[in-house]
Amino acid sequence: MAETQSVKAFERTERAVVPEAEEGSPFRKIWNRHSTAITRIIAAILFFGGWEWAVRSGSVNPLFISSPTMISIRLFEVFADGSIWSHIRASGEIAGLGFVLSVVVGVPLGMLMGRVKLVRDTLEPLIMAKYSSPTVAFLPLLIIWFGIGILSKIVLVFLGGVIVMIINTEAGVANVDRQLVETAKSFTASEYQILSKVVIPSAVPFILTGMRLAVGRILILVVVAELYGSSAGLGYIIFQASANYDTAMVFVGVIILAAAGVVLNALLRAMEIRLTPWTTTLAKW
Amino acid sequence: MIEILGLSHQFTRQDSADENLVVLDNISLTIEKGSFVSFVGPSGCGKTTLLRIIHGLIKPKVGKVLIEGETVCGPSANRAMVFQEFNLLPWRTVLKNIEFGLELQGTDRSARRQAALDVLKRVGLGGFERYYPHQLSGGMKQRVGLARALSTSPTYLFMDEPLGALDPQIRELMQTELLKLLDAHRKTVVFVTHSVDEAIFLSDRIVVFSARPGRILTHIDIELPRPRWKDDEKIKSSEKFVTYRQHIWHLLKHELQSELQLQTMPKLA
Ligand SMILES: Nc1ncnc2c1ncn2[C@@H]1O[C@H](COP(=O)(O)OP(=O)(O)OP(=O)(O)O)[C@@H](O)[C@H]1O
Ligand SMILES: [Mg+2]
Repeated sequence: MAETQSVKAFERTERAVVPEAEEGSPFRKIWNRHSTAITRIIAAILFFGGWEWAVRSGSVNPLFISSPTMISIRLFEVFADGSIWSHIRASGEIAGLGFVLSVVVGVPLGMLMGRVKLVRDTLEPLIMAKYSSPTVAFLPLLIIWFGIGILSKIVLVFLGGVIVMIINTEAGVANVDRQLVETAKSFTASEYQILSKVVIPSAVPFILTGMRLAVGRILILVVVAELYGSSAGLGYIIFQASANYDTAMVFVGVIILAAAGVVLNALLRAMEIRLTPWTTTLAKW
Repeated sequence: MIEILGLSHQFTRQDSADENLVVLDNISLTIEKGSFVSFVGPSGCGKTTLLRIIHGLIKPKVGKVLIEGETVCGPSANRAMVFQEFNLLPWRTVLKNIEFGLELQGTDRSARRQAALDVLKRVGLGGFERYYPHQLSGGMKQRVGLARALSTSPTYLFMDEPLGALDPQIRELMQTELLKLLDAHRKTVVFVTHSVDEAIFLSDRIVVFSARPGRILTHIDIELPRPRWKDDEKIKSSEKFVTYRQHIWHLLKHELQSELQLQTMPKLA
């Protein structure tokens, strides 16, 4: 009796280690192979189903939480009649310009800070003060300086993005492997060659990570900037919709922003893997 | 000709601010043009430091190095270094890593590609042109570092344990390859190794260093017939070879023993 039990226990552990070798119902096989995906799908169904049910059964007012079907319909509508595109374009313009400016200004500045002590000593306190304070707090000032139009919004986004670009680039430049610099010197490299062939390439992974972080911050700042004095943009839609108690529309704005965040992040991550295979293939898992 | 004149060097200690770590103590040495000289000595005795000083990567605290009569004050294109830690650029493929030296020295694209492909085959890395360093084994990386230095066709070649990461078979193959190469293109070579056999097999002269602070214990001229790559097995088992080996081992063992006692005695007491 005890013997058969222990044999059973043995079989069970055997199964846990080698799920492929298991016979049994086809359901079990599918489960073993796709348990993560299945868990997530079921969780999503329960979540959205519960949400929908809560609204339909009248236990929660749709004014507050809308419902999955209402949101889907709105989402479909705004794309079907094309009314959303002008808003996406408006936000995209601010985010895109702000991002490009952040990179174009932040990378050279970060390099200067990493390489030239005078520049570092001058700018570091400023950068650190800026980094530790919420960028949003600058908005009122920026509106006074640059007006209520697109310029103050781009500057706000730029301020948020440029700071991470500077800090990451500086870290990359400062982290250069001294032995590689010495190797370049041993083959009579000039200062310029050391910079272009050793220092800058070794900072590339840091710069790419900086870009990913910058995109995240920029998406937040675009929305905040558009909450004040705009006539277009995803932030504007969200603000307007909430003022009109159009909760489904608020969700539409949020979903589009979230999707943009996911897509941009995935794109930049793919770029990192392509451009810096030596950092990404090793640490992937 | 390389002349090392009364050279001493020290680093600032990491564990105490006001004491210095004396690494090299009054080294004087002449290395004839076209000769192959090996440095052997206990780990940490300053061999790498001496090599870096000879190449002009660090300035000695006392004394100087003359190459062809001129004081060394920085690296030069007719000298090349093979680093103990390989020091490959992780973002460059094998081929581009080998080209690195020539690229820095302004050789045009097609000439340096040709030179790189040429040495690449010689170090047995044919087919790995497009690999990145993180995709190579330690021994392969080391051969890329070797190829990078060889591709610049230097007159002076400084090699810091260039075969240390290779397995014994490839290591012997690379030794004979190196000798063949040097027969074809005469160079002055300074070679650091922990393998006494390797030093004897390759060198015209072996310089034995004491434990830190590195001092020269003795020079031994190796009078084995050349070319040695032809009948390497016979040479390695010859009576002369064995005598050299015993002599050098004896010296090194003595150094290592005193070193170990110095380090362990206070702890035991
Ligand atoms: N940049 C440095 N700063 C401080 N100390 C150093 C530096 N470089 C080397 N040293 C010290 O100098 C000593 C000699 O180092 P070196 O690398 O020349 O030894 P080595 O003879 O090449 O040893 P090994 O055979 O293990 O390679 C060591 O004790 C090391 O800690
Ligand atoms: Mg060394």
